[in-house]
Amino acid sequence: MPEGVASEKKGFFNRIEALFPFDWDLLRHAGAEPVPYHLKKWWFCLGGTPMYLFVVQVITGIALTFYYVPSPAEAYHSVFVITHDIRFGWFLRSIHKWSANLMIISVFLHLLRVYFTGAYRHPRELNWVFGFALLGATLAFGFTGYSLVYEQLSFWGATVATNLADAVPFVGSYISYFMRGGPEVGEQTLTRFFIFHIGVLPTLVFFLLALHIVLVRLHGVTELHFEGEVVEKEHRFFRFWPEHATTEILIGVLLMYLLTILSLIWPAQLGAPANPNVTPEHIKPEWYFYFSFRLLKLTSLKVSVVLTGAIMGIAMFWPFIESWLKRKFGMSERLSIFIGIFAFLGFLVLTVWESFAH
Amino acid sequence: MNDASMDRRTWLASAAMGIGLLLSYGTLAVQGMMYLLPQQIGRRGRKLFAGRLVDYKVGGVRTFLDLEGNDILVKRDEEGLKAYSSVCPHLGCRVHWVDAEKHFFCPCHRGVFDETGIAISGPPADGGQRLSEVPLDVDKDGGVVYIEVKDIKRS
Repeated sequence: MPEGVASEKKGFFNRIEALFPFDWDLLRHAGAEPVPYHLKKWWFCLGGTPMYLFVVQVITGIALTFYYVPSPAEAYHSVFVITHDIRFGWFLRSIHKWSANLMIISVFLHLLRVYFTGAYRHPRELNWVFGFALLGATLAFGFTGYSLVYEQLSFWGATVATNLADAVPFVGSYISYFMRGGPEVGEQTLTRFFIFHIGVLPTLVFFLLALHIVLVRLHGVTELHFEGEVVEKEHRFFRFWPEHATTEILIGVLLMYLLTILSLIWPAQLGAPANPNVTPEHIKPEWYFYFSFRLLKLTSLKVSVVLTGAIMGIAMFWPFIESWLKRKFGMSERLSIFIGIFAFLGFLVLTVWESFAH
Repeated sequence: MNDASMDRRTWLASAAMGIGLLLSYGTLAVQGMMYLLPQQIGRRGRKLFAGRLVDYKVGGVRTFLDLEGNDILVKRDEEGLKAYSSVCPHLGCRVHWVDAEKHFFCPCHRGVFDETGIAISGPPADGGQRLSEVPLDVDKDGGVVYIEVKDIKRS
């Protein structure tokens, strides 16, 4: 008689447990995940950073949505009101902006860490794919979010980006038409970007993050051994809760500190309002699209779009491609390191090049 | 060191950390709530800083931008400060101060305005027009000047 047993229990917590019959041992079990000792090194905590920043983005984003109006006539003014009139509006907007930038940086750094420590290899290939999808979603967040400001540069950025989508082979015209909600950037575009930014992408990221973390938990954190390291027979682990969680909380506080300082020194600015009739002299996307923009300047529209797509596709499925190359051609894992360094330096060079160019 | 004191120490450290986190994030949450309180938005005017009083020479004119991007000409004479819109009442060209002649001049149709903004020659004088005045606020104690300009349009 399980019901009888439950109702016989006395006390506040037992009553709650009767109403919400959750097996707390499950949580205890999930929290007791063994964490390898190398996670004491901060470099390995980069995955938690974008997740913390995502939470910051959700909270500040919801706050900003209270005053933001997604229509071409109102968008710029509502951002102006948030920045200049609403109490703490400038602060929340600056935090949102800086957190977005830091999120992209930390996702990149997390990706580099996972790549160069080989943590993406079998059996964790799928988690790399999820992680890469998260990178894509983060970039899409940045792009749609920036476009919502509806200032001159972000408007023309959206125009250029949707024109780029137009150049995708076969389906490009459909994609750009879908993104814009019509033949050109306008009323429909802003509503679409808004829905993507506050509805579709957050939901997508939430589920991808859940999958990402569940997979980490199922596979366990990779045990990393450096070359020449004497591997002890007994693996050294510490508990996720409370030891590792404390580290993550500390990182959260440090991030909040960093975000506040950045927002105080460089608060989010507002350029000239969008004007579809006047093209600015220098159009530039946000820094995380510099590599693609530089590629566009170096090659033709079609070539750069196909090239960017191909590189992204290869990178996304690299764990599978690598193991196939290993099986087929006996490729050494060392080559992967060189390919990674080459790709990263390429990205860095294109980004820095574009940031100094006019 | 026995086990009991270790426990107390750990407990104290955790408690300090927990309270610290609660206080700092709590402060942020309170400020966040103030952001969400309904607020009067769409004010009509806005005060812009227009320099310190000591920066104004008697008989001189300094120029500031309003929020619509038009020049506001702030002039000091013996009586005090006056601010004028640079928009010519004739056809909306931009008027500027000619220090040598001590008058405002509109280059479009050679309109001339005297030191108090009244048109004295050219088409604006024929129409009996004058430069529109912009409200000005001088903080005597602080020695700071503000111009009161229209906020940018919000529909």
